[in-house]
Amino acid sequence: MKVTVCIGSSCHIKGSRHVVEQLQDLIARDNLSDKIELGGTFCMGKCQQGVCVTVDGEFFSVSPETVGTFFEKEIKARV
Amino acid sequence: MNELTCDIGYKSINHAGEQLCGDHVEVVEQEDGSTVIVLADGLGSGVKASILSTLTSKIISTMLAAGLSIEECVETIAATLPVCSVRGVAYSTFTIIRLIRNQTAELIQYDNPQVIVLRNGENWEYPRTETTIGGKQIFRSLIRLQEDDVFIAMSDGCPHAGIGMAYNFGWKREDIIKFMEAMSLCGYTAKNLSTLLVDECNKLYGGEPGDDATSCVVRIRKRVPMNMLFGPPSNRDDGERMMNLFFAKEGKHIICGGTTSSIAAKWLNKPLRPSLSFEGDIPPIAFLEGVDLVTEGVITVNRVVEYAKDYIGDNRQYEAWSNGKDGASMISRLLFEEATDINFYVGRAVNPAHQNPDLPINFNIKMNLVKELSEALKKMGKRIKVSYF
Repeated sequence: MKVTVCIGSSCHIKGSRHVVEQLQDLIARDNLSDKIELGGTFCMGKCQQGVCVTVDGEFFSVSPETVGTFFEKEIKARV
Repeated sequence: MNELTCDIGYKSINHAGEQLCGDHVEVVEQEDGSTVIVLADGLGSGVKASILSTLTSKIISTMLAAGLSIEECVETIAATLPVCSVRGVAYSTFTIIRLIRNQTAELIQYDNPQVIVLRNGENWEYPRTETTIGGKQIFRSLIRLQEDDVFIAMSDGCPHAGIGMAYNFGWKREDIIKFMEAMSLCGYTAKNLSTLLVDECNKLYGGEPGDDATSCVVRIRKRVPMNMLFGPPSNRDDGERMMNLFFAKEGKHIICGGTTSSIAAKWLNKPLRPSLSFEGDIPPIAFLEGVDLVTEGVITVNRVVEYAKDYIGDNRQYEAWSNGKDGASMISRLLFEEATDINFYVGRAVNPAHQNPDLPINFNIKMNLVKELSEALKKMGKRIKVSYF
């Protein structure tokens, strides 16, 4: 599974760093690093909805506060 | 026109308790590509010394740049400077370094510590001829420039550093030479060399300088071109033309901005690989074959502008960007230390996502960043060309 987080200007200001770091921690916690490939990308063109995250191409709007539920619902459930 | 260029940098520290510096450095560029640098040290310290040294350096640099002789300059100064009511004299010592078309340096020295010239990393005792103008003993020298020559001009606050504290007789000229010989081999810029020298003086003074201390360093180096792309073009159809021009230029290539680097990746037909390693609070950089450095846009460049302004001023943040692994530090090292001629390719597209009042970035800020950055780089003595798309 490929999870991509936008690290462009707008998403950076909205906290993409925290999203990336929390996802890295959660993936490590659940030993999923061999199943999930976490990557970065520059602007996805949907800055208004940032922080922009895609899971296998499907778009999600995530914030540092919602990373936990997003991980359980959209990532862990699908692995 | 030759391959050489001059990197000029200077820094002063004030006499303890004074708000003004009694030393003054003036740099004037002439139309024929020559540069006149004057370092003047006014009698005493504080406001009186500051007025004397400012007047002296301004008068000399303006008159020399206008093609008048040194004799006339000295006579004018003697006739113009206000006479000190305490000491009954009008007095300011000066050092003039005139760089003629980056080929020859003319040194004219009056009563300041003798200019140190380092050639191939070693002190070189260059020939001087003595003349007397208006009762003042003046030393003149003509030096044919070579790559990596370093000229170090100082006010007497430098060799006096540490008198009665660290050293009995101050920081001796031979010891300053040894200190600077070692430093000059490390690839530091003129600004950083002068900062190192003056900071060392401050240390020897125990943080309470007993005199104003100034050093001005000129480093002769080869020209190094560099190119920086920032922002997508306002008209989408211009992307191709912008990339063609940008990649045709010699020298290193820096790209700032997510969308901009995507356009470049498409043009190069290579994958853009953003890294996920965060360094400090600057967004991560990315990798793109054929480009020397790819970074995020406004946030990164904003930090570079901050570093640039500090560098031409007090130079306190040097340690942050000289070692940092983030995009802003990397750009700073390339632009401030390595490049001498920089071409900016600036796209004027408005990113609709940035026009949100909640975000501290918008189009005007972006355009201002380019303006501020190119102004700061010009003050560092670099040749800047900005093209808008």
